[in-house]
Amino acid sequence: MHLDTKAHGPAIAGDASPATRADATVTLHIHRFDPTIDPVARFDTFVVPQVKDMRVIDALHYVYETLAIDIGYRWYCGTKKCGTCAVRVNGRETLACWEAAELEMRIEPLRHLPIVRDLCVDRQPVEDKLVALETWLVRKQPYQVFPEPIDINNAEMLRPTLDCISCLACYSACPVLDFNETIPFAGPAALVHLARVALDARDAGGRIATIVNEAHVHHCVSCYKCEEVCPAHIPIVSRAIEPLKQLAYTQSPETSRHASAFIDIIRRRGRIEPMLLVLKTQGLAALRRPRRAFRLIARGKVAPLAAFLRRPIAGIVNLRHYFDQKS
Amino acid sequence: MTSIAFYPGCSASTTCTELGQSTRAVAARLDINLHTLHSASCTGSREVRAADPELFVTLNVRIIALAEAEGLDLMTICNTCTLNLLDAKRRVDTDAGLRERVNARLASEKLVYRGVARITHFLWYLLDDYGEAHLRQQITTPLTGQRVAAFYGCHIVRPPEHFGFVDSRNVRSIERLADILGCETIDYSGRTECCGFHCSAENETVPIKLSGRHIASAQDAGAQALVTPCPLCHTVLDTFQDDMATDLRRPLDMPVLHLPQLVGLALGIHRASLGLERHIVSVRRFVNGVKGGIR
Repeated sequence: MHLDTKAHGPAIAGDASPATRADATVTLHIHRFDPTIDPVARFDTFVVPQVKDMRVIDALHYVYETLAIDIGYRWYCGTKKCGTCAVRVNGRETLACWEAAELEMRIEPLRHLPIVRDLCVDRQPVEDKLVALETWLVRKQPYQVFPEPIDINNAEMLRPTLDCISCLACYSACPVLDFNETIPFAGPAALVHLARVALDARDAGGRIATIVNEAHVHHCVSCYKCEEVCPAHIPIVSRAIEPLKQLAYTQSPETSRHASAFIDIIRRRGRIEPMLLVLKTQGLAALRRPRRAFRLIARGKVAPLAAFLRRPIAGIVNLRHYFDQKS
Repeated sequence: MTSIAFYPGCSASTTCTELGQSTRAVAARLDINLHTLHSASCTGSREVRAADPELFVTLNVRIIALAEAEGLDLMTICNTCTLNLLDAKRRVDTDAGLRERVNARLASEKLVYRGVARITHFLWYLLDDYGEAHLRQQITTPLTGQRVAAFYGCHIVRPPEHFGFVDSRNVRSIERLADILGCETIDYSGRTECCGFHCSAENETVPIKLSGRHIASAQDAGAQALVTPCPLCHTVLDTFQDDMATDLRRPLDMPVLHLPQLVGLALGIHRASLGLERHIVSVRRFVNGVKGGIR
């Protein structure tokens, strides 16, 4: 473990319980907004008594029962199963039923979704995406036998995606969805659901075009913000999004020009030559910005001649062997 | 003199040669012997790891095995390389079958992965191995009065399974280093946010949209420069900054320093040895603000 972890230990949000006293309180700044009557959103502040092992949802319940009966928030199971109570606490997505109450909390609704009222969001845009991506198994042949045998390795590959409780915390945390009007992207939640069916050996959906052109899997920036907030601890990037990219690359390499170009360059040179990568990925479109290209060359960031002539790394012959072996 | 195997990565020999140059200059000043792994390949960035996971593990474990052959720990200067090496190490350390297959492939080069080399980033090396107190003694030109904004990037703080943060915003290592160097750090929206680099070849609108607002936030908070431990973040923040300014319809003009460059300034290393003239956004004003550091 490196320094940051060793020195501080994992940060525990809301570790307020040990200090609990009879007169201790928790302060909530709750996002209030009713789109039918409010021109803008506001934050209302409530101070509630702190109790032992208090969760965010307990504080919200207290506010609802004693201070503001009109407050809008959603919950059902209270035990991390139903995925309905996800909110943002001090800027981070979490399940209200699972997160310890902090002494001072700014509680906001999930991002990237229309607000119904206060902390309640309209899940419809995501439901629409799931329908558009056909996130159900497509079967074109009748079952050979029943019950149908399931391949253990395939089941193991799918297992993490089955843990999703559709709380949409990841959908809120994803920075690419901040710009969904200009950058098309299905978002992590929808990609988890898509992976669950696309990676299933029984599926006959023929999904490459959907993965690449409708879900826009290549617009995932690999920032891992989705993994950080997922209450089910699903490795969303490495067990859902990357396998979808792998599927697209192996079944239809022309849909993954960047990956194909990348692998080809490392195979030949041992390391990446950024100028060649951009040229191979974008084609002539790479020349759209002559001013930038000129400045990059002037500052020595790009050296066109060297990019073509640079010698491969030492031991390149051995390295190529790994690319040419079938694993 | 302590020695460590040095994995420079691709950027330090192409788009960010100033990163390799400044790392070597700082290491020389601190009497750290960098044993460069010349036959190390690319770690595969995000592309190989998705397209061909076993090749990805092989490439990375090979790099670790090269360090182990020298009997040294392994140091990187790139976030994504760091995560890739840690990830591949985790995979072979927890899957005996995979480890056997990879070692069988490496045998053709007489390499063997034993799992003894530690993987560290230059940032962690300075604080953990070289030591905060030791580094503090070496500062000749404290960066007093300079205000920088740390831009950590993603792959040195997330995913949680590798770095241990429940909330990655709690990372403090660059702030601690900046304190040793004598400069102030400011808080702003981009500290642990994504620069969008890994979509830049596919669609450069992604990094331009993702990063512009963070540079604006740092500017509004009074930062005189950004400092980043990752050459990929640097490439986006420096190279695309003009487009971000156009997109946001406001001037930005925010210098972006590589972490070793900031350290080098505080160590009094000549600016020409730090490659400071190679940036797209000029760092001159920031460097000239370093008292006694104008050489």
